[in-house]
Amino acid sequence: MTDLICVGAVSGSFGVKGEVRLKSFTANPEAIADYGPLHFEDGSQSLNLRITRQIKNGFAARLSGVSTKEQADALRGTRLYAPRDRLPSLPDDEFYHTDLIGLSVFDTGGTLLGSVKAVLNHGASDLLELSLTTGGTELIPFTVACIPTVDLSAGRIIADPPEGLLE
Amino acid sequence: MSRSVWKGPFVDSYVLKKAEKARDSGRNNDVIKIWSRRSTILPQFVGLTFGVYNGRKHIPVTISEDMIGQKFGEYSPTRTYYGHAADKKAKRK
Repeated sequence: MTDLICVGAVSGSFGVKGEVRLKSFTANPEAIADYGPLHFEDGSQSLNLRITRQIKNGFAARLSGVSTKEQADALRGTRLYAPRDRLPSLPDDEFYHTDLIGLSVFDTGGTLLGSVKAVLNHGASDLLELSLTTGGTELIPFTVACIPTVDLSAGRIIADPPEGLLE
Repeated sequence: MSRSVWKGPFVDSYVLKKAEKARDSGRNNDVIKIWSRRSTILPQFVGLTFGVYNGRKHIPVTISEDMIGQKFGEYSPTRTYYGHAADKKAKRK
């Protein structure tokens, strides 16, 4: 489990008064402000964020310590991270993608199948994309029948893939 | 122009046969591999899991009631966009 998760990025300056263009990666884009203060990738700096308006492809925002256009321009391309513990806790059977990605996946017999590469949803149900130890990737539905156990503390998932899926 | 009502929804016949076979066997969790993205999702498919081909692999699609009337291809995109995990959630059903 990573301590910092990427919730947005600065895509440049907005105007001449030190505002930044902000891209939000959160499920509800405006929720990025709720996870502040945000950090750089190395966790060095803590920035308070205030969204000032919605603009094309994101938000205009003010970051603490950024008061000029030059300072805002210098942050272009910088990713903003929030500590994992700032995300609210979830009910049973609901998981953050960031917690699932990277977990080892074993079959019911204890054989290592691979690890979780991504969590996808194409409109039907959530799917886990596994990087298989044998090479390649495979999708498994994120259902109780196919994924009976998710043990975040042990960092492992037990999968019971339906017949014909992993071929 | 929409499809005439008297024709009924279009479904490739092999999809109907495979679904019927899976339902009769009672193994609803098995993935039914299909290549027909153009077939309409019918009420008798609810609860079954189809592996819908996207040109590269079969994407598992578990059919629920609100998917009736759509086409299989709508749930099996041919391009993948990963994006950022951030605070996105997944629910195990």
